Amino acid sequence: MSRKFTSIETKHYEERSALFDALPRLNRRDFLKVSAAAMAAAAGSGVRFHPTSFQPVTVANAAGREPFTFAYISDSHLYRRDLNDRFVRSILRAVDDVNHLDPKPDFILYGGDLAQLGKKEELDLGAEILKNVQQPIRMMVGEHDWFLDMGARWRELFGKETYSFDHKGVHFVVLMSVNEKDFWTARKMTPEQRMGTVAGLDNGIQSRFEVGAEQREWLKTDLANVAADTPLIVFSHSPLYKYYKNWNFWTDDADEVQAILAKFAHVTVIHGHTHQMLTNRIGNIDFHGLLSTAWPWPYAPEGLPKLTVQMSRPDPFDPNDGCGDGNMEVNADGLVDKIYNLWNRNPIEVTSGYLASNGTKEKPAAPNMTSF
Amino acid sequence: MNGSRILLGLAALGLAGVGLVGLAVADDASSASGAASNSLVVQLCDGQTTTTVDKNAPKTKENGQKIAADLMAQWQRAHPDANWIATEREKHMIVEPADNTAMIGRMQGQTYGQVTERDVLSWQRETLAMAVHGSTVFHSGDELGSTIAVSCDMCHPDASNTHAETYPKFQPQLGRVALLRDMINWCIEHPVRGVKLEPDSPKMRALEAYIMAQRKGTAMNYGAR
Amino acid sequence: MSERSKGFGTRWRAWRIARARAFGIARARAWRIAAGAVMLASSAIAGGVHAQMPASPAPKSADGGAVTADEAKAVAERRKTETEHPAADAGAQKLAKGPHGALPVAEQLAVLDALDLPDGPEIPRGIDPLVWQALVPKDNEITKERVALGKKLYFDTRLSKDGTLACATCHDVSRSFTDRRPVSEGIADQLGQRNSPTTMNALFFQTQFLDGRAALLEDQAKLPILNPIEMGQPSEDATIANIKDDAEYQRMFQAAYGGTVNYDDMARAIATFERTFVFLDAPFDEFVAGDSSAISAKAREGWVLFNGKARCVSCHMLNPSNPIGTDDRFHNIGVSARKQNFEDLAGKALKALHGKEGAEAQEAIDRLAIETNLSELGRFLVTKNRSDIGSFKTSQLRNIGITGPYMHDGSMQTLTDVIDHYNRGGEANPFLDGGIEPLALTETEIESLVEFLQTLTDKRFAAEQRTETARQRAVAAKQRPFRENDLAMRKVLPFESRVMGTKEGKR
Repeated sequence: MSRKFTSIETKHYEERSALFDALPRLNRRDFLKVSAAAMAAAAGSGVRFHPTSFQPVTVANAAGREPFTFAYISDSHLYRRDLNDRFVRSILRAVDDVNHLDPKPDFILYGGDLAQLGKKEELDLGAEILKNVQQPIRMMVGEHDWFLDMGARWRELFGKETYSFDHKGVHFVVLMSVNEKDFWTARKMTPEQRMGTVAGLDNGIQSRFEVGAEQREWLKTDLANVAADTPLIVFSHSPLYKYYKNWNFWTDDADEVQAILAKFAHVTVIHGHTHQMLTNRIGNIDFHGLLSTAWPWPYAPEGLPKLTVQMSRPDPFDPNDGCGDGNMEVNADGLVDKIYNLWNRNPIEVTSGYLASNGTKEKPAAPNMTSF
Repeated sequence: MNGSRILLGLAALGLAGVGLVGLAVADDASSASGAASNSLVVQLCDGQTTTTVDKNAPKTKENGQKIAADLMAQWQRAHPDANWIATEREKHMIVEPADNTAMIGRMQGQTYGQVTERDVLSWQRETLAMAVHGSTVFHSGDELGSTIAVSCDMCHPDASNTHAETYPKFQPQLGRVALLRDMINWCIEHPVRGVKLEPDSPKMRALEAYIMAQRKGTAMNYGAR
Repeated sequence: MSERSKGFGTRWRAWRIARARAFGIARARAWRIAAGAVMLASSAIAGGVHAQMPASPAPKSADGGAVTADEAKAVAERRKTETEHPAADAGAQKLAKGPHGALPVAEQLAVLDALDLPDGPEIPRGIDPLVWQALVPKDNEITKERVALGKKLYFDTRLSKDGTLACATCHDVSRSFTDRRPVSEGIADQLGQRNSPTTMNALFFQTQFLDGRAALLEDQAKLPILNPIEMGQPSEDATIANIKDDAEYQRMFQAAYGGTVNYDDMARAIATFERTFVFLDAPFDEFVAGDSSAISAKAREGWVLFNGKARCVSCHMLNPSNPIGTDDRFHNIGVSARKQNFEDLAGKALKALHGKEGAEAQEAIDRLAIETNLSELGRFLVTKNRSDIGSFKTSQLRNIGITGPYMHDGSMQTLTDVIDHYNRGGEANPFLDGGIEPLALTETEIESLVEFLQTLTDKRFAAEQRTETARQRAVAAKQRPFRENDLAMRKVLPFESRVMGTKEGKR
């Protein structure tokens, strides 16, 4: 049985692109008339997606440690439910996602900014929703959870903001990286004004994020007894490096923290706050950003790490585009492959091999619409 | 307040926009509370803002300034818009309009004479003010009329990714060619969940001004996707 | 045809004005220009008003049918009447039925004649010549001979294995060029998995089939003939063997394509005939051309909602370059998610397609789509992209008022059901399109949208639209299976029951 429809399809696409190639030669009026079809054709045929299936391949290449997976939800920015249902719906969707992962992840990381304005009812709503996560959950605090009551309600609900734990031979550290130097007392700000200032990403009144001397000392102590060949995974809300200062895509004492991590062979930092696909490698440290469930941030005008696999600019007509959740495959060597589950897009996997090869190997296939 | 009154006048301390501040000082002994006679209530000339001080404190310049600063801080908190341009510019980076000082002294040979320094200053001030107004709307869910507390800056910090220079362009999801204001209104109606602005309304004009200000220097490229 | 091309420019300008009006922009100026446009436009449209279809068309000699009366009767007896869409029984056109519920060929041909479609290469009214260029493949230009051949083939039941089905069986000219059933019935009365889309305006789609697995009408026409539970032919050769000795076919293939009877040219001729099915002459078109009285005040409100609060336009774009109201994209709106095991299906499909490439994969997909519940995965079967799971092509909106039942599986009886579905934010599932969110539309707003959609029906079907409007109204008064007010008004949120185990989603 010979069927030729595939070749006809190919031929048709060729003809259509030939027609659209000729578009620039059309006059303005003609161009307007066909422009809709032209754009549709370009979008339909130009974009190739990485054929990632549900279960990313796990490479069991080293002895001693068992590979495992953990998933994440981050940056949900909840208001009261009766004020804003949109962001509630989004975190529900993320919880539904991680509950349906197969195989089940060992635990779920919550990446910070559960609340939008740090209010009790916002944090309580988040806690209520996160109770439905079927796996154990590890909480991290973000600046939106913090600056109303300086962490009081968050601590009541979730415990300490700085802690460490071991899981299947990997040492995990959770930092509170969004401390800010006091900008509010001199201005006689109310707690609400302080929170409102920090909540504005482009608000220049606030200070820059920092881990701070006290926590850096804690970190040194915590790591003192961990062998240098133990894989280390650090969770911080802000990126533990300097990306773009104006938006606090930044940790002021990042260099000092990196120095503390320098003695370890395999370090991965997982951070929230930036609401975008973001990848970096500095020395021995791999950095991965998390997606937000609430809204995506644009890439900053400067400072974007060159290893970043950019997500295409989100479609404003799809309120979930550029948002999502994801999971991390911790390989037997303790290195992490990061999978971004962008809602309604194909998942994109950024492997440790890609980072280790400085972007020359295992380059992820990603959409290629650029940002402005 | 039937006690003795002291009326003070002093120049505002670093508060542009409010010229002179009068202070009324009332002897607290005569106040309804009947509290310790050592305190004195000092009232700002607005008739509302007050602060309580130690009656017996030395009447030094420093102490006087403390009282003034405290009253002023209170008043500023109660009137956050009093100096809205400076306040907004402190919070948010707003690109300055083009510098026209090179035009000072030039003329076209008609009756109105040459461009003055003051001309250029007022152009600059008024233009910037419009962009600054836009910034206040852009950064406020209340100003935008959002029913779900969402504002533009939540997705567009510093108006990034607004690409004002690409309009008009065919917007597939609107099924038509859109101007920047069409897209602003779409965002107000949907992600922001408010009521669309009239195209000529002050808020819409200000939003356009701010967004375009932030794209200063970008080449116009209408139709770009 | 200069009258027709002249009409386009006017319409195009008027469109922009009407859009500006709908968006409340530059109102005063738009109205002024629109007033001028009415006069121009009405002359363009005057030629488009057609006589209504004859109530009982006189039988004509069939030039395509090959079904004997006995065969037809036998099939009719076996027919599963319970799958009938009630519309087929209702209203003005109580027509005698042939096999699988289709009107007999001779009668269909009479109906077709009354529609006054082009029979040659002229550009149909209302289409921009430049857009037309993109719609007609270079290797299959339209000629009178090709249209005539395609017409004969479209109605020829010899193309099916048992001689009971032609294209015109499931794309019945008298039933809005579809079959008005939830899913279509093939040979031996087997039911497929998908709703038959109308062939009206099908030429405008960038891909064919509800999952877009064929690029062109030419490709589409080949597949149902060979599908085992549609027209059931075992092979291309077997199909051609049925008709190649027909002297008239030999003459017509020669005239149309300069060769003998063959499968590829058969498909090309059918596609050419289908490119004459242009139905863009609706009350809506008079409205956008400037006659605001062409549609009711309620429909006008619906048009504003369509572009605004209801966000229909984000996928159903309507403009002169793209006049049928589709973005030609694939979206998961959750219709599949109402079926059991939908999420497990994805993994199974990946396995079924593993290692298959090109034509082999396409054949596998075609069979999966028609024969198995994998059909529910939609576009995913074609691309194997996770993002395409459960997504189907955005339907056109032209003539939507008379082409129910709706959705890829015909699971919605009325347009009210469809709006109810969108109003509640679709059906939550992990692959739900992000643009699908609760809309908080009121009952009045739902009515306005439905009334607007009905203005997109071509004037040649005005009587049918009236009948179908009344029928749908009666059905909607009795049952609203997709209505879920708490979800629509965002009191209960999508995904809430999946996550929290509350009662959301219970119907």
